[in-house]
Amino acid sequence: MYGEPIQALNNALSSMVNTLRSDAHALDSLWISIVTFDREVNELVPLTELASFQLPEIVCPQSGPTHTGKALEMLYQKVKNEVIKGDATQKGDWKPLLFLFTDGKPNDLQLYREMVPKIQSLNFGAIVCCAAGNLADDSLLKELTSDVLHLDTADSATLKQFFKWVSETIEQGNKSQGTGESMALPPPPKEITIVI
Amino acid sequence: MPTITVKSIINGSTYQYVDNGEPKSGTAKNVYFSPDKKYVVAIFKKTPDFTQKQRLIKIATDHLNRIRNSEGGDYYIDELFRWPTDVVEYNKQIGIIVPLYKPNYFFKKGYSNQDLIKGDEKNGKWFAGAKFRNKQFPLSLDGSELGTWLSYFQICVNIARGVKKLHQMGLSHSDLSYNNVLVDPVDKSAVIIDLDSLVVPGIWPADVIGTADFIAPEVLATKHLDIKDPKRKLPSRLTDLHAFACLVYMFLLHRHPLKGGKVHDLDTEKDDLLSMGEKALFIEHPTDATNRPKLNQVSKWDLFWADVNKLPYTITGPYLKDLFDQVFIKGLHTPTERPTADQWEQALLKTTDLMQPCSNKNCEQKWYVFDNTNTPKCPFCGTKHTGTLPVLDLYYQFKPTVWKPENHRLMVYSNQYLFQWHVNRNVTRNERLSAEQKIPVGYFTFHNQKWVLVNQKLTSLKDLTDDKEIPIGQMVELTDGKKLLLSKEDGGRVVVITMANK
Repeated sequence: MYGEPIQALNNALSSMVNTLRSDAHALDSLWISIVTFDREVNELVPLTELASFQLPEIVCPQSGPTHTGKALEMLYQKVKNEVIKGDATQKGDWKPLLFLFTDGKPNDLQLYREMVPKIQSLNFGAIVCCAAGNLADDSLLKELTSDVLHLDTADSATLKQFFKWVSETIEQGNKSQGTGESMALPPPPKEITIVI
Repeated sequence: MPTITVKSIINGSTYQYVDNGEPKSGTAKNVYFSPDKKYVVAIFKKTPDFTQKQRLIKIATDHLNRIRNSEGGDYYIDELFRWPTDVVEYNKQIGIIVPLYKPNYFFKKGYSNQDLIKGDEKNGKWFAGAKFRNKQFPLSLDGSELGTWLSYFQICVNIARGVKKLHQMGLSHSDLSYNNVLVDPVDKSAVIIDLDSLVVPGIWPADVIGTADFIAPEVLATKHLDIKDPKRKLPSRLTDLHAFACLVYMFLLHRHPLKGGKVHDLDTEKDDLLSMGEKALFIEHPTDATNRPKLNQVSKWDLFWADVNKLPYTITGPYLKDLFDQVFIKGLHTPTERPTADQWEQALLKTTDLMQPCSNKNCEQKWYVFDNTNTPKCPFCGTKHTGTLPVLDLYYQFKPTVWKPENHRLMVYSNQYLFQWHVNRNVTRNERLSAEQKIPVGYFTFHNQKWVLVNQKLTSLKDLTDDKEIPIGQMVELTDGKKLLLSKEDGGRVVVITMANK
């Protein structure tokens, strides 16, 4: 990502973090980590408790390959090592949620396809991919998850709405629960095209 | 920003709200403010079905009127509930009109180091958990928002009264949680909100099973069953009593009564379902210690309150201890054993009579419950009580010449007041007290190295030990073993004085 989309993303991320930081429930339970990927894969913020979380400016190169597969590889290791699994004496962490943003398509396709089942085996609570702009390849992202949202324009307003939805997803555990069974994602914002 | 006019489906009245495009969004409703900010219009996201609509109308008419016309009606409507007052329709959507909360339910300061939540609602969750009161926590609440330990007793009393009233009317809240109460430790008050999904079993079924942390074990344990299955348990008066007890426990002890260290399943979700449902176990169960919190696994911000050895639930005093035992041990899986809201109200109030101010100026809780020992100390900061401490035990006349203990004790501190409800057992301390009955009848003070009771309004106060009448405007010294008759009238009590910390 480069130019306006990344600016808009930074802006939207920052307002999402502020929303979450004014939510008592999120502050009680949420930890966040950010991994960026282009040619390099970088753990921009290691897993940090929301209250101590400082959002850095995400900077991406103007051009170059998109190493989504390598990013998933790093993510896989991080989740394996850092998310506490339940055992006989210790309760496990809640299932993590994965939100992936990209405006391109994986250039390391082989690794990407190798990592997809591994990531899926990690038992995420939800995996949501957000594809921004006309270069993003939804069909490849659909291999990772059925929840792919395509943002035609990655402008500030659209992204903000998307992140509002993300934070609602995160906050959902603390809301009143219906008498039915579904603990599904809340409906995504209307303005966004959903790929089916 | 467009102002939208909506019309009542009950009587055609009109209301307005400002559509700023970003309503406050809850699970079921989007909430908009009226232009004058006196009420809110809460629009249901999913159009209510016929029964739900009928229920809303009934809540906003019959039930509202019943409360208004009952004894203490204004108190309930103005202080304890934000009760829906009308049902409106706009663009085929249904909404309700609810009066806005009082200004004290919005944060004046919020976090101590930034303005992020300044002006936000004081949702109960902020005051239930331990983190936000830990000064080391990066986003802790400002000390000016937290009140004292005594504040939380009054908060719980308010909620108890609200629940009591609903239950008296045959209604259940069905989704009592810290999200549905606003609390103000500064003004020492609380208000119950989201009163639009009240449940009457058999007539108005439950729409929700509740909010995590507050759902009764039997509801979770049967949640996999079909809604029509007779074994399926849904919210009712009895599940409200579980949720309410969790609230009291959390507001007073800032930890959850069932969330301990015991692991039931390696899958986190299954484990949570079991530990809050079928296998629920009180973390402070006296004989089964398997669910005690494991301090090495608790967030460092929560440690102070998580240590059940340092701050056991017994610090809430003997009356509440009994009720916690009843609700989290006996009644945990036997809903009919759960204490009623009325029992909670009385126990909370009686407990405030056992409270002492902590002499340590820096103590964060400021108050504690007398621990019934000869050398009392504050459980929060460890400061020992200095000086003697008069303890008054109340007795009632069982039959002429036979007086029996009330199981009610009044701890004396300087400038502590004596009220009608201490003097006479026919006066109950509740929301129905008249203004006259809320005026103190005497006060205690430490004067010239002696503890004394100054009589302000008692017409027949008598020192039985010295056989001496104490007229209004006079005082009587409190000494070990002394007996005082507070009133000769029917229901008048005798107090027996014990001096602790001698």
